[in-house]
Amino acid sequence: MARILVIDDSADLLDMMRLILAKRGGHQVVLSADPADGLSKALADPPDLAIIDVMMPGITGYDIVRRLREQPQTAEMPILILTARGQPIDRETALQVGADEHMAKPVMPADLLAKVDELLARRRGAPEERAGRILTLLSLRGGVGVSTLVANLAVVLAGGTPDVVALFDMNPASGQLALHLRVKAERTWASLRDASPDPALLEQITIRHASGIHMVAAPFSPLYADRLTGPTVEAVLAFLRGRFEAVLVDAPPLLSSGAMAALNASDLVFLVLSPEVGAIQAALAALHALQGMRSRLFLVLNQVQEQPPLPMSAVERALKRPPDAVLPFEPAHRTALARGVPLALEQPQASYVQALHRMAVAAVERLAASTE
Amino acid sequence: MAKEQDLVVRRRGWVTADFFTHDYRISGQVDVRHRPLADQLNDRTTSYLDVEGVYISPIDRPGEITASYPISSLLKDNITMVVLARQEDGLSKKQTYGSYFGTYLREVFLTIPGFEVRGLLQMSGKLDLRAVLAIGTDRFIPILDGTIFATLNPKIQFTGGIILVNKDVIGAICIPEEG
Repeated sequence: MARILVIDDSADLLDMMRLILAKRGGHQVVLSADPADGLSKALADPPDLAIIDVMMPGITGYDIVRRLREQPQTAEMPILILTARGQPIDRETALQVGADEHMAKPVMPADLLAKVDELLARRRGAPEERAGRILTLLSLRGGVGVSTLVANLAVVLAGGTPDVVALFDMNPASGQLALHLRVKAERTWASLRDASPDPALLEQITIRHASGIHMVAAPFSPLYADRLTGPTVEAVLAFLRGRFEAVLVDAPPLLSSGAMAALNASDLVFLVLSPEVGAIQAALAALHALQGMRSRLFLVLNQVQEQPPLPMSAVERALKRPPDAVLPFEPAHRTALARGVPLALEQPQASYVQALHRMAVAAVERLAASTE
Repeated sequence: MAKEQDLVVRRRGWVTADFFTHDYRISGQVDVRHRPLADQLNDRTTSYLDVEGVYISPIDRPGEITASYPISSLLKDNITMVVLARQEDGLSKKQTYGSYFGTYLREVFLTIPGFEVRGLLQMSGKLDLRAVLAIGTDRFIPILDGTIFATLNPKIQFTGGIILVNKDVIGAICIPEEG
């Protein structure tokens, strides 16, 4: 439990902050609706963290931060600016005056609590940089259940631990991961216009799901496909792998420059197919095109139909090898998608989820072997 | 009672927006309990828009707050555009309810004094840019998922789920070739 001071002139917002930080976050909360009073409280008895609005009458949040940084007792105090001024220039200004982080209102409670935890952990000296694994899931044929697999594999890999797994939905034509997790993707990778996007912008487009899984979502509109260039994808992945233990990429069904950047950066590539002729042909084409990364390819046969059109023996004959994992048909996926809750969250005992666990173990073993 | 993931931290019934005039960025709050912001802007019966808690920044230093006032009234003629984070905070009722039927989105590029705007324009029927500017009584057109670039300093950018652009200040409206 930490002691958190919130300075904001909105009574509604202070009520909400008390609810979120005290009741849900379990923190001790000190509230101040008057900026001058808030500044005095911070100086007199420095909290573990201060959350400060910018637009307040008489004295702005930026002025408060400047004054806190001038005093030795609050010079190192973690400060989060929470403001309706949510443009990149506002984040830049907040950091320039001495804040540690900037968040734009309106903010989701889960996002706020995650940021609070991150700032408190940073103060305790927790490591900031991770070196996460990048796992890309690919099929050159649509309809073989890749997005469903990504959403469920994320839940399995996270194992209930929040903030360790991130998803990157690269699909250019209305990606599905946000639907699978019922996440409202107000910001997506469509906001990335530069080849080397600002980390602040990358942070803004990384959404946190209530389960603690994070996501860079695909835009609803298919008009932005050209924004995922190779360098942009590399920048997104570098950002995510620095913050999460595992990054799952839902790759588009084509070998574009962006997709190739993801594949090249991947520690493991799950090539997904279903037991039907079209999917097998697409898998063979992918195996041929990606033969340079054969040691990193992990072949997954996903039974997306109750009655598979081809038997396993025919699939193995065509591929000239057995798949590394076989996932059984699961009718409950349809309702899971409709409800926006992955099967692995709701029915961890389902045979599909159990098979995913086995696949994850095999994948981890493959990764361990490749680094030996 | 709202579910946990539905809760957002914001002042109820009010929306915060960035209003741009030729020389200033003015951040402030508008009461939208009775009418969406777009409807208030497009209301021809009044030339003014009441905005509370305004924080003013010169356009060349848009992160810096140089003045603030509890109450203000903005002259609509001089508002070049309004930037809102979320589409639902800016769309008018007629644009919100059932309006997606028979419409499509086109990427557009607009020039207005001092700025360039890129984003998506919701259109219906034949592609006719003149009609976008000429038809209808709405003074402000909504650009969805838009970005504004300062012409003389493209590093200064603003993004919004919706940008309401004053038609009277548009110099050019362009559409890129369909890829």
